[in-house]
Amino acid sequence: MDRTDTRMMFKKILIANRGEIAVRVAKACREMGISSVAVYSEADRSSLHVQLADEAVFIGPAPAVDSYLAMERIVRAAHEVGAEAIHPGYGFLAENADFARLCEKEGVVFIGPKSAALELVGDKVRARQTMERAGIPITPGLKTIPKDRAEFERAARTLGYPVIVKASAGGGGKGMRIVHKENDLGPALDAGRREAKSAFGDETVYLEKYLESPRHVEFQVLADNHGATVHLFERECSIQRRHQKIVEETPSPALDGALRAKMGDTAVRAMQAAGYNNAGTVEFLLDNDRQFYFLEVNARLQVEHPVTELVTGVDLVRQQILVAAGEKLSLRQDALRQHGHAIECRVYAEDPSNNFLPSSGKIFVLKEPKGPGIRCDSGIYGGWSVPIYYDPILAKLIVWAEDRDLACRRMEAALGDYVILGIHTTIGFLKDVINHPEFRAGRLNTSFIKNNLDGWRERAGGEDALRLALVAAAFDDLNSAARSKAPAGRTAAKTGETPWTTLGRWRIGGA
Amino acid sequence: MEFEYIVDGVPRKIAVEKKNGTFLVRAAELAFAADIVALSDSEIMLRVDGRTTIVYLARDGKRKIVFVDGRTVVVLEPDAAAEAFSRADEKALDGGLQIRAPMPGKVIKVQVAEGEDVRKHQTLAIVEAMKMENEITSAIDGRVKKVHVAAGELVDADKMLIELEPKNL
Repeated sequence: MDRTDTRMMFKKILIANRGEIAVRVAKACREMGISSVAVYSEADRSSLHVQLADEAVFIGPAPAVDSYLAMERIVRAAHEVGAEAIHPGYGFLAENADFARLCEKEGVVFIGPKSAALELVGDKVRARQTMERAGIPITPGLKTIPKDRAEFERAARTLGYPVIVKASAGGGGKGMRIVHKENDLGPALDAGRREAKSAFGDETVYLEKYLESPRHVEFQVLADNHGATVHLFERECSIQRRHQKIVEETPSPALDGALRAKMGDTAVRAMQAAGYNNAGTVEFLLDNDRQFYFLEVNARLQVEHPVTELVTGVDLVRQQILVAAGEKLSLRQDALRQHGHAIECRVYAEDPSNNFLPSSGKIFVLKEPKGPGIRCDSGIYGGWSVPIYYDPILAKLIVWAEDRDLACRRMEAALGDYVILGIHTTIGFLKDVINHPEFRAGRLNTSFIKNNLDGWRERAGGEDALRLALVAAAFDDLNSAARSKAPAGRTAAKTGETPWTTLGRWRIGGA
Repeated sequence: MEFEYIVDGVPRKIAVEKKNGTFLVRAAELAFAADIVALSDSEIMLRVDGRTTIVYLARDGKRKIVFVDGRTVVVLEPDAAAEAFSRADEKALDGGLQIRAPMPGKVIKVQVAEGEDVRKHQTLAIVEAMKMENEITSAIDGRVKKVHVAAGELVDADKMLIELEPKNL
């Protein structure tokens, strides 16, 4: 904050999001001496982000369209509490140009790109047109939106199957469908439109040629409002399922210095072509011949931003806030370095043994890993119930170490220390991703899960673990039996147990 | 004291007795001494032969969820296990005729009508939870006997969505 004109800096920021990212932003605000305001729906009354922010405003019923996507309500809340700026996090309104415009009109600073830039890159089709004009290679696909089903079918035939249906308004796997034959195109378009409508409020979809097994490599960019643009190197996000990233890392095992410099330079040019400001990410697909193609711009803080923070030492949320307040970037491209290696694992409330079905419900026990080089960005706590209404991300586990191999080992150990009881999570699955020989060798591509871990099932513990589990269960019942005999009877009343139900489960006289 | 539990469908007996500050455990043909300390309401430290293990334990009605060495073990009381079995039996006997919601969510679309023939793997309905659409497919070739839900409806896990009947009935 040494270069900050404190008269310009915000005093209060409203965070228009929930979960781990709202927590992350609230913490950055606190460090900067800015007071934070959470918003919450009916389903999030006692959620972690509400607990951590300095103030909280109720904005509506559980469904996101009535709360976290309700633009007017959120801007009104900002006015009511006197917040000068809104941080949108990721998802929800983060890439919604209408929302950015509404903020501009209402005199509230939107912490993100200006509405014109957001509109351009948020419209995936227009973004592709712009990039192509700027001489940036793009993936084969449509550059306009077809009028009807027949036109979609013709376009798909021209591209050649497989094609991928994509939402023009968003990313994160929402609205995406891979189509291998013409019969499946209609239903895929319908499903893509519905999902896009529900996730982004815009049902426009288009087609790209589906590349079978590329790497997904993206570049973090920061641009201020005064024309300066830098990149903070790459993140490799090839480990995906349902088109959603689950493991990200930096540096990418696929890049050398020359390719990194070339892609970084292209990313900066792409953002300049789009007239982009604030933090953003340029996504590329990288094929086996080291050719790269512009995929899209993610006009927001990314879920996977922490890996960049750990190797560059730059706090991206703080940078976003500084840029939004009108500060000039203090970062210079030639002074930025990557130091060591960082990996992120996304912990989702899903059952990896059962087709990654979402898993909502109560978290009975939570224990997050700690230790040197371990960071856990979390939106949950023990005793909280995961609602059914929102994205199933619970937390992100991020590790840093001197090199990739050490980072893998650190991640493996940290995942082993991560305890979430009561709901299904992806932790066990992530452990097997990190331990996989192909992952360790850095041979990554977007088909990694399909090729290496399809039909994954949680392994049962060994006989020793089972025996210890039984000892623990018996010890617990022994204790609760003892407690229920206690004269005050407080424990029994609290748990709703009577001595009769407690006593009924064991037989006396065994030993 | 002797306890009986069911783990993965297999009955397990275990006896634990406190003696001079330590615990004697008998499980199947094994007998051993263990130091056991409750570290908190959900953490138990076990020390057997000098090896320390921290076990995490959650209580959910007649079910305990126990986490040991990176694995989750669900320990059921015998009567809870019996209930679970009869539900599983019902499902197995039913042969895929009852289509139930796999998780709580919102019915986005019902793709079939009563009386309609369906193929194996055909999508019958779409249930959305946590912003992802999940296709509910048929496990059999058959015919739709009854549709129990409509688009827009919120459903709990295990709620009956659609009933099928064999085709050549």
